[in-house]
Amino acid sequence: MSTDARTRMSSIARAIGAAAVCMMAPGGAALGQDDPLDRLDDRLTFGAWNDNLRARLSGTLDLEGYYLRQPAPGLIFSEGNEVFNPRLSLFLDAQVGTHVYAFVESRADNGFDPGEPGPPVRLDEYVLRFTPWDDGRFNLQIGKFATVVGNWSLRHGSWDNPFVTAPLAYENLTGVWDTTAARETSEELAWAGLRPAPTYGGEYLQEYHDVPIIWGPSYASGAAVFGEIGKVDYAFELKNTSLSSRPETWAPTETQWQHPTLSGRVGFLAGEMWNFGFSASAGTYLQPMAAPTLAPGKGFDQYLEVVMGQDVAFAWHHLQIWAEIYEARFEIPEVGNARTQTYYVEAKYKFTPQLFGALRWNQQLFSSLPTATGTARWGRNVERVDVGTGYRLTPHVEVKLQYSLEHQDANLQNWGDMLALQFTARF
Amino acid sequence: MTAPGLRRLAAVLATLALPPAAVAQASAEGRVELAKALHAPVMNKRYGIVAHGGVLSPFPPVAVVYLEGPFPRPSTPPTAQMAQKDLMFMPWLLPVQAGSRVEFPNLDDTYHNIFSYSPAKRFDLGRYRSDERPIPSVLFDAPGLVTLRCDIHEHMRALILVLDTPYFVVSDAQGRYRLDGLPAGRYVLKAWLDSKTTLERPVLLQGGATLHADFP
Repeated sequence: MSTDARTRMSSIARAIGAAAVCMMAPGGAALGQDDPLDRLDDRLTFGAWNDNLRARLSGTLDLEGYYLRQPAPGLIFSEGNEVFNPRLSLFLDAQVGTHVYAFVESRADNGFDPGEPGPPVRLDEYVLRFTPWDDGRFNLQIGKFATVVGNWSLRHGSWDNPFVTAPLAYENLTGVWDTTAARETSEELAWAGLRPAPTYGGEYLQEYHDVPIIWGPSYASGAAVFGEIGKVDYAFELKNTSLSSRPETWAPTETQWQHPTLSGRVGFLAGEMWNFGFSASAGTYLQPMAAPTLAPGKGFDQYLEVVMGQDVAFAWHHLQIWAEIYEARFEIPEVGNARTQTYYVEAKYKFTPQLFGALRWNQQLFSSLPTATGTARWGRNVERVDVGTGYRLTPHVEVKLQYSLEHQDANLQNWGDMLALQFTARF
Repeated sequence: MTAPGLRRLAAVLATLALPPAAVAQASAEGRVELAKALHAPVMNKRYGIVAHGGVLSPFPPVAVVYLEGPFPRPSTPPTAQMAQKDLMFMPWLLPVQAGSRVEFPNLDDTYHNIFSYSPAKRFDLGRYRSDERPIPSVLFDAPGLVTLRCDIHEHMRALILVLDTPYFVVSDAQGRYRLDGLPAGRYVLKAWLDSKTTLERPVLLQGGATLHADFP
C-alpha cells in the first residue's frame, strides 16, 4: 500500500470511527438505561383509528470504506484503490388492520453500487401486500422488491449481512452483456476479457456492460404470491427484468413488460434449525436497447437467462450457516449456451453478545463455448474467501471489517484482495 | 452522610425498633398517574414470510410501585418468567428482586434470539426453539433497568426492572396498585413510570394499617 493510499484509507477509517463515537455518546449519557434511539423509534411510530393504521419511519446510515486492488471486484465501479461510500436508507413500514402491509425504502448515496453512476436519491423498494388469512398461507404483493430466489436476499441489508459485500453469485460480473447481443463466440470471449477487445475500450467500460447471475437483491418490479403451509413455504414472482438485470432497469417505467421474468422458490422448514430451498428463474437478460443487435430471425425470448438454485440455512444458538448453489445459463443464439456454476458456504458465530466473526468460501466456474478451432471457456474461474468480524457497540450501532482474497484463472494477475470497513447506525 | 443514606439509616433503625408481629402486616395502596400510551409497534415484514396477523397489542402503560429499604437478598434465587408469544414479550415489563433468575420460554413456533446490552446485564441467549430444555434463563444480580430485544424480530422490546427490594407490584392499566405484607416503619415508596421517570414519597407504614399513597 502506498503512503498516499495508506493516508486516505486511514482518513476513511478515522471518519467511520468518529461516527461510531458520536453515535455511542448519547447512549453513554443515558447510562445505558435505555437508548435515545429507542425513544426516537417510539416517536417515529404513528397510529390512527385505534391503531388499526400504523406507520413507522426507520432507517440506516451506512459509511463504507473500501481499499482494493484493481480491477475492482464485483459491483464496485471505481478506477481507484480507495472507495468511500456513504448511504442513508429510510424505511416506511405501514400496517392497515391485519391484512394489508406496505413498505417503502428510499436511499441517498453515490449510486446503487459503490461508484456506480446513478441518481443519488432513489426509491429502491415499494411494496403493497395483501394477506387474506392470518396464518400466512397466502400473500399477494405488488411493487418493486427483492427477489424471492435463494436465501441471501433475506439478509442483504447492512444490519443483517455479516459481511460488507455479497456472495459471488450476486456480484461477480460475467462476460455477458445486457446492452448488446453477442454475435459470435470471439465477441463473447472478448467481453469476458479473454480475448482482446479493441473496439470496446478499457476494462472499466467493459465492466459497465457485464452482468452477474443475480444483481444484488434484484429490486425489479412486478408481483409476487407467497405463503407458508405447514413446513413448506413458497414464493413466485413475475417481474419486468431478469435476475441479472442492472438497477437502472428495475423501475417499471424503465423496462416494459413484453418479456417478463418468472422466478420462484419452494422451501422446506425442517424444524427451526434447517431450511432448504429450491429456486428457479427464466427471463430475457437483454435490455430493449439491444434489439438492433439480435441475431437475424431471433427475438428477445431466445436470449434467456435460466437459473436453477438450491439453498440451505442452519441456525442453532450462536451459530448460523448459509449455503447456496446456482447454475445459470445465458442462451446466446448462434453462439451457444454460456453456462456458469457458483456456490458459497457462509458461517457466522457470535463470540460474545456484541462480537461476531464470519467466514465465507465462494467459487464460480465457467463452461466452454464452441469456437472455430474447438472450444474455449467463456469466463475466468474464481475462488474467493471472505473473512469478516463485527462489533455491535449498541443495539443500534455496528462496525464491520471484511477482508477478501480472490484468485482468478487469469494470465497476468491471478490474485486480488480487498479490505472493507462499514459503520452502520440503525434507527 | 448523604440524604438518601440518612433516610436508609432511619428506615433500618425504625424497622429494628418495631416488634416482629408488626413487621409484616402493613399495606399500601393508591393510584399512579400513568404515562401516555404508545402506539403498537409496526412489525418489519419486508423480506420474510410472517405467518401471523399484523396487529399487535399496544403496550399498556403501567407503573412499578416498590418499597425502597435495606432488605436482605433472597437466600435462594426466586424465579420469574418472561415469555415470547406471538412475536411479543409477555409481559413487556417485569420487575424482579436482584438475585432473581428469569426464564425466557419461547412459546412461538419460530426462533427467537433474546439479548441485552444494558450495563445491568449483558447477555445473548442465541437462537433457541420452544422445546429446548432447560428453558434458557439469566440471573439478574445487579439492580438496574435491562432492555431486552430479539435479534431476529426488530420490533420486540421489553424491560426487566431489577430492584433491591422484595416488595414491589405492577399497577393495573388504570394505575391502581396494592402492596401487602409490608414491614412497618419509615420507608420511601417509589413509582417507576419509565426509564426517565421515577416518582417517590416517604411513607410511615404501621402494622395492621393500610396506607393510601397516590403518585400524581
